[in-house]
Amino acid sequence: MNEYVRPDEAADSLAEVRRRQRQLIDAVLIPGWYWWVVAAAMIAIGLATDTRRSVVLAIVIPVAVAVIAALTGGMIFGAYRRARVRSSELLGAHGALSIVGFVWLVVGLTLGSGFALRAAGSSAPATIATVIGAAALVIGGPVLGRWLRQTMLANRAGIDR
Amino acid sequence: MTRARFDELIHAPTRLAIVSLLAAADWADFKFIRDEVRLSDSALSKQLTTLEEAGYVDIRKAFVGKRPRTSARLSRAGRAAFQMHVAALQQIIERSNSAAELNTKR
Repeated sequence: MNEYVRPDEAADSLAEVRRRQRQLIDAVLIPGWYWWVVAAAMIAIGLATDTRRSVVLAIVIPVAVAVIAALTGGMIFGAYRRARVRSSELLGAHGALSIVGFVWLVVGLTLGSGFALRAAGSSAPATIATVIGAAALVIGGPVLGRWLRQTMLANRAGIDR
Repeated sequence: MTRARFDELIHAPTRLAIVSLLAAADWADFKFIRDEVRLSDSALSKQLTTLEEAGYVDIRKAFVGKRPRTSARLSRAGRAAFQMHVAALQQIIERSNSAAELNTKR
């Protein structure tokens, strides 16, 4: 059969292979708005903490945490229900480590800034710290997403390595 | 290096789309494949059955609550056949490029 397949047909088929794999990779990636919603919830926690009013804390913190948890859970399980990407093959250990590293970076930056600001006598340490963490999230999140996408695209089948 | 073997079963456009999609996944939901490849339920069922009969696809049927959910994945044989098919396509292009280079030199 393959004597009858012209080179341009073979090239079209390879392009289709790559397009379909890109389609699956794009379907499981984190959308850009996710980072903004989580960042807003983080800042809400910071603002509530600095009011030091128990009523505000009792309302805002559970709601913000619930929003982050529901969104993250929905994102992970939603993507998992649609399709499970071959992460071991497409992403590798570097990809998984970069996700964990990014989460720790944002948490470390937020907590570190908060403690440093409080020690320096800031009047709103939690708000400023969460704004710093949120900024890291909305800048770094999409960068991480693009890097993960590029990594997965580079590791898919039909790519000359 | 992957051995090249052209696979007529995979090469059919609809099946190539399905298999390529599955090649990047461990498992994919039936509805997800149907929507991405833009097929009707019956057309996708037919193609998946053909691939399953060839031993290229594993079908998993489960219940989430009371709702039935069907997922598909490439079997080991299906993944190997897909990789060999991709290698065969690349070989066709490379041979054509080599022939063109040879003609240019003459």
